[in-house]
Amino acid sequence: MAVAIPQEAVRGRENYLREGGLLSWLITIDHKRIGVLYGLTSLGFMGLAGIEALLMRIQLAQPDNHFLSADVYNQFFTMHGTTMIFLVIMPLGLGFFGNVAMPLQIGARDVAFPRLNALSYWIFLFGALFMYSSFLFGGGPDAGWFGYANLTERFFTPGTRVDFWAIGLIILGFSSILGSLNFFVTIVNMRAPGMTFMRMPIFVWNILVASILVLVAFPPLTVGLIFLVMDRFIGTHFYSTVAGATPILWQHLFWIFGHPEVYILALPAFGIISETIPCFSRKPLFGYAAMAYATALIGFISYGVWGHHMFASGMGPIADAAFSLSTMIIAIPTGIKVYSWVATTWGGDFVKNTSFYYALAFVIQFTIGGLTGVMHAQPAMDLQQNGSYFIVAHFHYVIGGGSLFAFLSGIYYWWPKMTGKMMDERLGKLNFWLICIGFNMTFFPMHILGLGGMPRRVYTYGAGFHWAFWNMFETVGAFVMGVGILVFVIAIIQSLMSAETAVADPWDGRTLEWSIPSPPPIYNFAEIPHVHSKDAFWEMKHGRAQESRQPAAQPEHGAGGHGIHMPAPSLFPILLAAGLALVGIGAIAWLRITFVGVLIVYLAIIGMGFEYGTYGEHPSKERGDDAFPLDSRKVGMWTFIGSESLFFASLIGTYMVYKGRDLVGPTAKEILEIPLTSFSTFVLLMSSLLMVLALAAFERGNIRAGRNWLFGTAGLGCVFLGGQAYEFTKFFREGVTLQHNLFGQTFYTLVGFHGLHVLLGVIWLLTLAFASFKGMVPKKRALAVEFGGLYWHFVDIVWIVIFSLIYLMDKVTGA
Amino acid sequence: MSTAQASELAHEHEEAPRASTRVYVEIAVVLTVLTVLEIWAFYVPAVQPILIPLLMVLSGAKFALVVMFYMHLKFDHRAYTAIFGPLLTLGAFIVIALMIILAYFLGAPPTA
Amino acid sequence: MRPMVLKARRSRLIPPLACLMLAGCAPLQGPLSTFILDSDSARDAYHLFRYTFIWDVIIMLTVLVPLVLALFVLTPKKSGGAGHEAEGHAGSTRWLEAAWTITPALILISMAVPSIRLTFQYQPKAPPAGALRVRAIGHQWWWEFQYPEFHLTVADELHIPAGRAVYFDLESVDVLHGFWAPELGGKRDTIPGHVNHLTYTPDKPGEYFGECTQFCGLSHANMRFRIFVDTPEKFAAWVKQQQASPATGQGPNPKIEAGAAVFAAAPCVACHTIEGVSKGYIGPNLSHIGSHQTLAGSILPNTPENMTKWIHNPDALKPGAQMPALGLDPVETSDLVAYLESLK
Repeated sequence: MAVAIPQEAVRGRENYLREGGLLSWLITIDHKRIGVLYGLTSLGFMGLAGIEALLMRIQLAQPDNHFLSADVYNQFFTMHGTTMIFLVIMPLGLGFFGNVAMPLQIGARDVAFPRLNALSYWIFLFGALFMYSSFLFGGGPDAGWFGYANLTERFFTPGTRVDFWAIGLIILGFSSILGSLNFFVTIVNMRAPGMTFMRMPIFVWNILVASILVLVAFPPLTVGLIFLVMDRFIGTHFYSTVAGATPILWQHLFWIFGHPEVYILALPAFGIISETIPCFSRKPLFGYAAMAYATALIGFISYGVWGHHMFASGMGPIADAAFSLSTMIIAIPTGIKVYSWVATTWGGDFVKNTSFYYALAFVIQFTIGGLTGVMHAQPAMDLQQNGSYFIVAHFHYVIGGGSLFAFLSGIYYWWPKMTGKMMDERLGKLNFWLICIGFNMTFFPMHILGLGGMPRRVYTYGAGFHWAFWNMFETVGAFVMGVGILVFVIAIIQSLMSAETAVADPWDGRTLEWSIPSPPPIYNFAEIPHVHSKDAFWEMKHGRAQESRQPAAQPEHGAGGHGIHMPAPSLFPILLAAGLALVGIGAIAWLRITFVGVLIVYLAIIGMGFEYGTYGEHPSKERGDDAFPLDSRKVGMWTFIGSESLFFASLIGTYMVYKGRDLVGPTAKEILEIPLTSFSTFVLLMSSLLMVLALAAFERGNIRAGRNWLFGTAGLGCVFLGGQAYEFTKFFREGVTLQHNLFGQTFYTLVGFHGLHVLLGVIWLLTLAFASFKGMVPKKRALAVEFGGLYWHFVDIVWIVIFSLIYLMDKVTGA
Repeated sequence: MSTAQASELAHEHEEAPRASTRVYVEIAVVLTVLTVLEIWAFYVPAVQPILIPLLMVLSGAKFALVVMFYMHLKFDHRAYTAIFGPLLTLGAFIVIALMIILAYFLGAPPTA
Repeated sequence: MRPMVLKARRSRLIPPLACLMLAGCAPLQGPLSTFILDSDSARDAYHLFRYTFIWDVIIMLTVLVPLVLALFVLTPKKSGGAGHEAEGHAGSTRWLEAAWTITPALILISMAVPSIRLTFQYQPKAPPAGALRVRAIGHQWWWEFQYPEFHLTVADELHIPAGRAVYFDLESVDVLHGFWAPELGGKRDTIPGHVNHLTYTPDKPGEYFGECTQFCGLSHANMRFRIFVDTPEKFAAWVKQQQASPATGQGPNPKIEAGAAVFAAAPCVACHTIEGVSKGYIGPNLSHIGSHQTLAGSILPNTPENMTKWIHNPDALKPGAQMPALGLDPVETSDLVAYLESLK
């Protein structure tokens, strides 16, 4: 049975690209448009990073060259790395491909939270611009993309460069977390009826796992960055040895993020390849189940391997061995993936187009990168390679020859779907060969240079090391690659100018996005498809079992019935993101701007919260799913809470690490007041009781009672905050400041951030309470109260941990 | 959508509280008692040798009670538990891993 | 000792390719090559590398050969929807999936065993018996070496005896640095507030290059060092010479004396130690600077011209260098250089 393109689609708003003027892109919440924005922005930053790389290559082409100064070179390698990772590969993989392809592949009309999606993009854009504006104010960041402390301390790197870097990364972190939370909820909750987890396209699997990794990896990074910002701005000593701390803490927090990050960059690429190789081999993916499990396993293990970046730091043989083993284990699921791709090609009837070429190059180059990775997993060997060009070669093969090639394959693959135009194959082959040859010319010799002892991050080297030949060779290769990228850009422009129109299914695809017109209509699917197997669209086109099953296309929300409700565009995402950027600008320029930013953020959140007037009429609620009768917002809330617990875990971990290592007192056991805090604890526990009663009242429809309980909860919260204010003041008077000792800084940071959460909770609950006066929180919107409640209880359980761990457990260690 | 699922959906959003006020209050009482126990353990010298494991058990119990009853994980769809549980476990993993690795790295704390 | 692999390969190649290979392999022949194996540590790391490398090549072939076969040799099954049948046959290839799960696991185990043994071997709980202990201290951007055994402090040029284990205590006074002399073994970071360790036993006398491998700021690239592995006798003589007060050449020399006066009057004394003259400790110890092979973090050969350039404007040779340009006139500079070069 062929799939009929719905009539409505032909009549209606058929092209997501053409709707509205240029300004409509500022307030768009259409996942496809946001994907396009992500793509354009990332490609723009890739141009910048590429120029930085080429300039560095010119400098390195000859020994003792004076093309760039040490200062400029250091800025360029720092920003090349930071840009490629945070502003190019990650937003391309998740933001661009995730947005463009994922919702279409699961048969959804949009992501779970369209406005949040727009918000992620705008935060990303503003964060990126904020970070790059550093070049306008005294030079770009220059401490390396992993910014090892204590070089990043203000004493060693004065000026604002590292400030822009650290605050920029915090802002970008918000974007990543919100975006991934959105994708996670979308995949969990918005799949088309019948699409079980084991029927999802493998690309969606990879986006799912990558999103989870963002949620667990970014909180530790954010904590690490907050410590860094505090060290630089208010003189704490989280990473400086003055008060007994160690800069190694940064390395741990950074790499707990940093290794999952590698898979955040790689998994979307794996996903793309798992789509393009089967499609152009005209075979189904080999070993679907093994692929899915391998994806999940890679994600899981990647959280326990961070130490392999730190073998040179002297963690000791036991930790070295443990991280070495866990790293080697991750090679097994990765191997499963590579061999499954190879097996997919076996006996294939190939469509040898550009996308397929890039995919094949990916498999080979990624495997090279993976195999050198096995070398770095072995500490004794890694110590001869770490910090050398061998490592540079390794991660460029993984991220450049791997992820980037996969993305190019993906762009060629989904281009007709996104734009409705075809790309020119001759230009395609040309840019493939230029980029592929240029890439390997540039990066393969780096293996040899690294084994020959050339260290990374040097702006110059002497002639006596015999490094000149390959460096010149690499520079030539880099320019070949640069020309290749130019040809790619020309191919894009040429395609956009061309008149040729792509059909809905140019590749005879296997997944649902090919069942709708190219480019897709705003609502994607006129009828939400029902899925009966993996490779759902292939099954619809060619499947034989079809007839024996139930009617295939059972319209769930037909366009004819009660119409398709698409969410309206919103101004608040861009507003909120601008507010957040102001917070960052204010931190560096003038603190008052920060307060303006905070105010804008708050108002925009309120605006967003009540924009639809009612909770529950939000489009994400439009259809529950057969398999998962959950509310997307509640799934999102729990995911957010889970991610937050990693934030607090990083703070608590830091407190525990530094506990008892102060060089000067007073410390916890001498100063903490148990009676006062016991009272505060009791107050907070009781507030949780009132909160749950408030929710029960709202659910019963007893708004007045509910409101009173809410006020009660917020009131107890205020009492708790008062106790904390008293405690902090008292400690300050006794000389324990943030800068005084390790206890001071870790205690105030942990308990302070908890207090900040209480404060946000109080504001949240009060906002709800006052909104209920206006009748904005009726019975059917009790969920709004439940979300506030979940947050409030989360703050409570964090306190339960803090109370025992910090206040009560200290006596023993002291005694 | 089957009737069973529909009713489940309804149960989650429309129906009255997942537990009665009485249960909530009882939980609050238990939480208070557990907190008092914790503070008692802190002050009584005889308990000192087992203070840390004891506190971990007590605070763990409080944590679980709030999560199960006040945050409704006991009543709600288990997907929520499946989301929160692993993330929480990873959080605990970070704390423990950081403590062990850096304790080894930093050596014995300075004796003040 | 050059690894045999390279020699054998080179001899069999046709001339033009051989030239390329020669140029290509030049980095592997020193002076910072991880393929030159002059200590136990470097040798063990290399053997681990060679073993892993062989497996890597084999694994790469198991990926490449099927790909090439599938693309260029195998005749495709003509498909319409027919390709879809493969789904059923996926079940019958479970053995294949098991194979590419279990085989890599076994290979990895065969790598992990020696790898982890070495990890423990080179991080002993206590220094090896009879080891020479050296404190290597990273500074922005030079290295300080102390021999507690001989009460000696030198800069940038380390002398150690061949055949005796050396046990480094690695420290830093400012930011992180990385201590790496590839031909003698792996690297280790120096971390402020912490003492890291590294140990190896050099085989034979020779001059070895070292460098900083942890980005440490503006002149990270200009932070090198040398390790001179001496015969035990030569090492003993060197220690004796270093312990003695610097010899300023034979007889009084007015130029050298003038230079000594310049040194004493200039801010030099605040940062530099010259045995019997000054006790500065921020900069390198200059007591025997005239006997050094290199200058300024081992980035320049020690010649009077280079020393003149260095004193004239350190920042030009090492951006960000903490030593200021002193603004000495040419005569003063030349006297100072003469004095310093005389400190043997």
